[in-house]
Amino acid sequence: MNDDYLWDKSGPPDPEIKQLEEILGTLRYQPKPFEVPAPRRRSYFPLLAIAATLLIALLAGGIWLRVRTRDQVPQQQAAVPEKTPIIAPAVEEKTTPTPKPQKRLAPREQNVAVYHKRRNTPPALTQHDREEALAVKQQLMFALRLASEKLNLAHRKTQSMSPANQIKNQHRVG
Amino acid sequence: MAATFDMLLTSPKETTERESAGPRVELVLVRAVLDGDREGFAQLYDLYAPLVHGILLARVPRAEVDDLVQDIFLHAYRKLHTLRDAAAFGPWIAMIARNRAVDFHRRSKETVEINDELRGSDMHDSKAAEILELIRNLPEAYRETLVLRLVEGMTGPEIAARTGLTAASVRVNLHRGMKLLRERLGFMEGL
Repeated sequence: MNDDYLWDKSGPPDPEIKQLEEILGTLRYQPKPFEVPAPRRRSYFPLLAIAATLLIALLAGGIWLRVRTRDQVPQQQAAVPEKTPIIAPAVEEKTTPTPKPQKRLAPREQNVAVYHKRRNTPPALTQHDREEALAVKQQLMFALRLASEKLNLAHRKTQSMSPANQIKNQHRVG
Repeated sequence: MAATFDMLLTSPKETTERESAGPRVELVLVRAVLDGDREGFAQLYDLYAPLVHGILLARVPRAEVDDLVQDIFLHAYRKLHTLRDAAAFGPWIAMIARNRAVDFHRRSKETVEINDELRGSDMHDSKAAEILELIRNLPEAYRETLVLRLVEGMTGPEIAARTGLTAASVRVNLHRGMKLLRERLGFMEGL
């Protein structure tokens, strides 16, 4: 067997190998064109769909908030006069003589203004309410004092118990 | 860039030069393809299709080989960015071809082989199919090397350079495989 011919086709050809080459050569690769696939274009459809969904959700949220705030403003405006009719007369007299032309505010500004007004003005009470509140306060203070005294008494009683009994009891329990 | 490829591919092809130039050509072509040159991959296909064809022919039925060659190159084109060493394109695609052949046998049924044998109507073709079957029954280490040498007409140094095997092991595989094949061919003639 000619090893050189088998290895790199150099030297005199081996007749048997040559014959095998001829027979098996019929199975050799036949060149065929290879279609290199075109580079895939990145599809932006999913991204666009997500963006559109978010946009729609934001718009819907915005519209809902807007509608909700419009509904709340008249309720608050209506509630304010009911709670603030009783104001100290001295203060009212000072503020009323010079009526200024009121600037018309936008609904949102009106809402903010009402909120600040409600926060800054102290709750106005009648004389009767004040007296009642003072009486309740005195009763509460009395109840607190009474409870405190009772607690002190209980504390003193627990302290006055003899330590021998404690040990005895512990011993019994243990 | 195309001119560079032509120069590399059409340079005088002494065996030793081909061995050293092979990976250099691969390197340039793979880098070009990764840079977006699709024509570079067509050249890689022309260079390596016989290797892939031979590897598959040693393992799967003839009727399936051509389609699998296309599939493998398509897969290689899509996964080329995962190839770490651009000069190792040959061993990489050879491994893809071997793995694809294993997958094929996992999925295929026994009837495929029978159809393949019935296909050979020509006398010469049936003789070739018979010898190929003998080669396929040789130990795995010899069959791929023998198919690449006797069917695809590649030389030992070319097989070594393309598959990434050492020249010594290719030489041993060729020698021992040929010896076994002769024995089996003699056994057939005796019948």
